[in-house]
Amino acid sequence: MSKVGGVIISHGQLATELLSAAEAVVGDINQIRAVSIGWHDDVEAAKGEIQHAIAEVSLGAGALLLTDMFGGTPTNIAAMFFKEGEVEIVTGVNLPMVIKLASLNREITLTELAKEVEQQGKDAITRAGVLLEPQKLRKDA
Amino acid sequence: MTLINELGLHARAAAQVVREAAKYDARVTISREDRDVHADARSILDILYLAAGLGKEVLIQAEGADADAALSSISDLFARGFGEL
Repeated sequence: MSKVGGVIISHGQLATELLSAAEAVVGDINQIRAVSIGWHDDVEAAKGEIQHAIAEVSLGAGALLLTDMFGGTPTNIAAMFFKEGEVEIVTGVNLPMVIKLASLNREITLTELAKEVEQQGKDAITRAGVLLEPQKLRKDA
Repeated sequence: MTLINELGLHARAAAQVVREAAKYDARVTISREDRDVHADARSILDILYLAAGLGKEVLIQAEGADADAALSSISDLFARGFGEL
């Protein structure tokens, strides 16, 4: 089965740390790379790193790029690689999104995966106080 | 089952459940009946949404060819506090 690969791209070391946190939960992750763009890094160098990472992980099924913040440099550089069906970008990466991508074990198209990961990221943001209060809880309310 | 380990059903414990569930040909569901929340035992993120801490009760159900084996090995994980006792 060909699996969609992933590249997490962030300012500073966030990408690397998100990947290690996900690995602490689900074990080794082979199909995701982290690219951390330093605050003062050269754009061309960063582009090269992302291109290299995409080539490493997209083994025929494409690559999903997860970036830290819409409008930020990592996203803007990642956006240069967007190509329908081959490279998709989802912004606002959080740990559940990385875990979702890492633990996906079924055949799925890149576009469907991008949608699922985007939704997962949104669903994962909750006011925990409401969630933990038994009487008021409705997960899908 | 009652959660008996200090951290409850946290991320690494949930990962153990997922790994165990993946070994069997069975559909395993973990539920918190007090909150009417059900989790697919093969999804870490589902399990985490149960928010099942120390002392909370969960119901484990399985169906499929290996249901009995899956049930017994996953129940065992809970009984052993995911090796954290």
